[in-house]
Amino acid sequence: MSRIGVFVCHCGLNIAKTVRVSELAEFARTLPDVVVAEDYKFMCSTPGQELIQNDIRKHNLDRVIVAACSPLMHERTFRKVIENAGLNQYLLSIVNVREQDSWVTEDEDVATTKAKALINGAVFRARLLQPLVSRFIDVNPDVMVVGGGIAGIQAALELADTGKKVYLVERSPTIGGHMAQFDKTFPTLDCSACILTPKMDAVLQSSNIELLTYCEVEEVKGFVGNFDIKIRQKARYVDHDKCNACLACTEKCPGRGVSEWDEGLVKRKAIYIPFPQAVPQKPVIDRENCTFFKKGKCRLCEKVCEQEAIDFEQKDTFREVKVGAVILATGYDLMDTKPLIQYGYGKLPGVHHALELERLFNSAGPTSGKVVMRDGKTEPQSIAILHCIGSRDKNNHEYCSRVCCMYSLKFAHLLKEKTHGDVYQLYIDMRAPGKGYEEFYNRLVEEDVKFIRGKAARVTDKTDNPDHAGKLIVEVEDTLTSQFVTIPVDMVVLSPAMKPRQDAKDMARLFNLSTDKYGFFMERHPKLAPLSTMTDGVFIAGACQSPKDIPDSVSQGTGAAAEALTIVVKDKMELEAATAIVNSAACCGCQNCVRVCPYGAPMFNYEKNVSEINEALCKGCGLCAASCPASAIITRHFTNDQVMAEMEGLMEF
Amino acid sequence: MTAMKKIEENLRKEAKRLLEGGEVSVVLAYGRGYDENHPMPFAARTVEDVDSLVFNEYCTFNLARYLPKYPPKTKIAVAVKAADSRAVVQLIQEEKVRREDLVILGIPVTGMKDQKTGEVIDNKTTCNMANPVLYDILLGDEIHGFKGGSPYDVLAELEGMDHDARMAFWKKEFEKCIRCFACRKACPMCYCDPCFMDASRPRWADKSPTPDGHLMYHLTRFYHLAGRCIDCGECSRACPVDIPLYLFHKKLAKECEDMFQQAAGMKIEDKPAMVNYGNQDSDEMLK
Repeated sequence: MSRIGVFVCHCGLNIAKTVRVSELAEFARTLPDVVVAEDYKFMCSTPGQELIQNDIRKHNLDRVIVAACSPLMHERTFRKVIENAGLNQYLLSIVNVREQDSWVTEDEDVATTKAKALINGAVFRARLLQPLVSRFIDVNPDVMVVGGGIAGIQAALELADTGKKVYLVERSPTIGGHMAQFDKTFPTLDCSACILTPKMDAVLQSSNIELLTYCEVEEVKGFVGNFDIKIRQKARYVDHDKCNACLACTEKCPGRGVSEWDEGLVKRKAIYIPFPQAVPQKPVIDRENCTFFKKGKCRLCEKVCEQEAIDFEQKDTFREVKVGAVILATGYDLMDTKPLIQYGYGKLPGVHHALELERLFNSAGPTSGKVVMRDGKTEPQSIAILHCIGSRDKNNHEYCSRVCCMYSLKFAHLLKEKTHGDVYQLYIDMRAPGKGYEEFYNRLVEEDVKFIRGKAARVTDKTDNPDHAGKLIVEVEDTLTSQFVTIPVDMVVLSPAMKPRQDAKDMARLFNLSTDKYGFFMERHPKLAPLSTMTDGVFIAGACQSPKDIPDSVSQGTGAAAEALTIVVKDKMELEAATAIVNSAACCGCQNCVRVCPYGAPMFNYEKNVSEINEALCKGCGLCAASCPASAIITRHFTNDQVMAEMEGLMEF
Repeated sequence: MTAMKKIEENLRKEAKRLLEGGEVSVVLAYGRGYDENHPMPFAARTVEDVDSLVFNEYCTFNLARYLPKYPPKTKIAVAVKAADSRAVVQLIQEEKVRREDLVILGIPVTGMKDQKTGEVIDNKTTCNMANPVLYDILLGDEIHGFKGGSPYDVLAELEGMDHDARMAFWKKEFEKCIRCFACRKACPMCYCDPCFMDASRPRWADKSPTPDGHLMYHLTRFYHLAGRCIDCGECSRACPVDIPLYLFHKKLAKECEDMFQQAAGMKIEDKPAMVNYGNQDSDEMLK
């Protein structure tokens, strides 16, 4: 005989508005083995917790059922509550009458009946609950940061400052990310490189940061506290230990590749460093464009290298890195605007996208900071900046990319400074919610920038007006005056949507993250856990979660570092006791469990022809048990008997 | 000499060679039954056994069925027709047998006949392919230009039914079931030991023939074979009460192909579709 206590929470009115809570408690009292049933306004509050603990002592309860919100919210709270009252924490069962009941219907009768069924099921299951003992495991104190943009750099530096070892993995040959491409940053207009490069250098100088550039995450095993991550070091064909960064090789190289850093506006060498302040300041060979790899001869770089650092035989290498927590700061891609043919990008030479213009402003850019047309000499006399290209657009990306309004203002200011041209801003709404942003907007309004409220409909080079010959015609409806206007300009700048990295889904799969409907990484809770993910020990920062500007990315990098620290600061951590075990007598050897497990916990024993589960790796998700055709896998706390009993209880209704 | 006779001759020749040379310890093929029209599965272990091997249009059995029964690392030669070879491939994918332990004797053939009815077996009950997808030695000439229609043509009627009609159809069919488990016994992919039906805690379904138990048994078995059934039709031929099991299996196979662009047992490199996840996998079922 069990002695079960049922505790029904009102959650203010969240539950009590639709579920008749006192009727529910009354009903629970009639169930066999239920010794006491109570309802209370906020069961998670201190008086609520005390109510449960007092009843446990008074009625000598051995099982507790709490009918409240999702176990994701308060299962841990109530486990602690009953543990402190002397019960094993696994003798608790949470019945979700909020998310799965009161919030999904307005019908009181239906909601109350469903709540009764759920409680009946829980009572059936509670009788079969077993006390379980938590396990403790050692925590690896190191952290991996994936992505060397500003968010990742910030996270790595903060962690390194606390004395933790950090692996900073970056896929391109240098850290710096998109911020390294910018000239100025809004709204303060301070030089991007001047504030970024000291941080890049700090990464290089930090003895706690192991910088892994030109590397990619290949495979992730393990779980919070003990990740086992396989890293692919892509072949650089330059031995960075020998290279002394004299860069003689880059001078002699006849190969030509497209400069990623300059957004393809100019060519770079096939052996190159991405930009002068790159970290590390050592070249790599771009195999695609290297004359030797293409034609089988050249090797000029090898000849000029006094350090004998060039190694054409180099292959991709792999290494395993063990860490306790991971921060993903993989950033964003800029939307390709070519498919939006109405704006003519790629067809009309006067049409640029935002990052191209950033490069034109930059003194280290292809034009040494002069804003000129693609011919390299003509200064544009009029420029139109088109907002929301692909953002706030149901046909492309419904969301607002957040940064475009502000950087467009920055562009306008810089264009005014660097050219004599007229600048038009074609915007839907001006969004400036940030410190100093509205002031920046006001400043620009006074700088003789022409603001037109309306989304550009088309850019064309065809016109009947001889005055406009050779110009780009931007067609737009000015929604303030309700007039259709055409603006002849020399240069058009598109502000395209920020979108998830092309391979964000692969990354999500590697780390077991979910993505939102656009493909950005999903946070655990939009308000209360914005940097955590549904995978314990994996955190996100920066634009991989949603479009963000630099201040937000930096704050998130710092925040994610703190989150990661909460894990790796401990020597040991408690693991769920609800793990799976294999009944080897019933195992049919199909290996479904081995294939479906996201944590690599089941292993196949080829000698005995059965699966075995490594409990240290098991997180108790239950996938294996569900996919086992012979029901040979038992998930503790959710055994077949317990689940079947619960279903029996549910079906009595 | 007919094509069948030639296959029989080649089968004996190759079996003899493999057993004599000690390359394999057993050759799984067909032997004489009580008459010409009822050959049986036969495991030749010695050179003398080879004379008992036969092949004719009634040799329908899928011999892949017996592969998981041998101890691991046994060297086996197995005679396979097209669908049978897909079963072998699927078993290799599921690591129930190892490719290196097998000598696959491929039989390209069409126009096999049902032992019970004498009817030609076609795309109604099988995948209706002519050539094995995987073999080491081909016992006959590869067949070119064979067109037997899509294996899913037969589903038209079932797919035309609404939900209630379909449920009624299957309930009626399952009513005939005497729970002899011949379908399970004949199926090359039903290798679980013990089967979920034999479990007693929890007891998933009645073991005696009851209507609810029929649903539980058959539907679960269909589900366990989703993405794995290679459409050999053996379950339906084995069924003594003629339940058209092939219909359900084909429907699931078709759905699986549509969703994952992968038919069961076509390539060794494939991973079993239902326990493998790829980013390009269809999310249709979640919508």
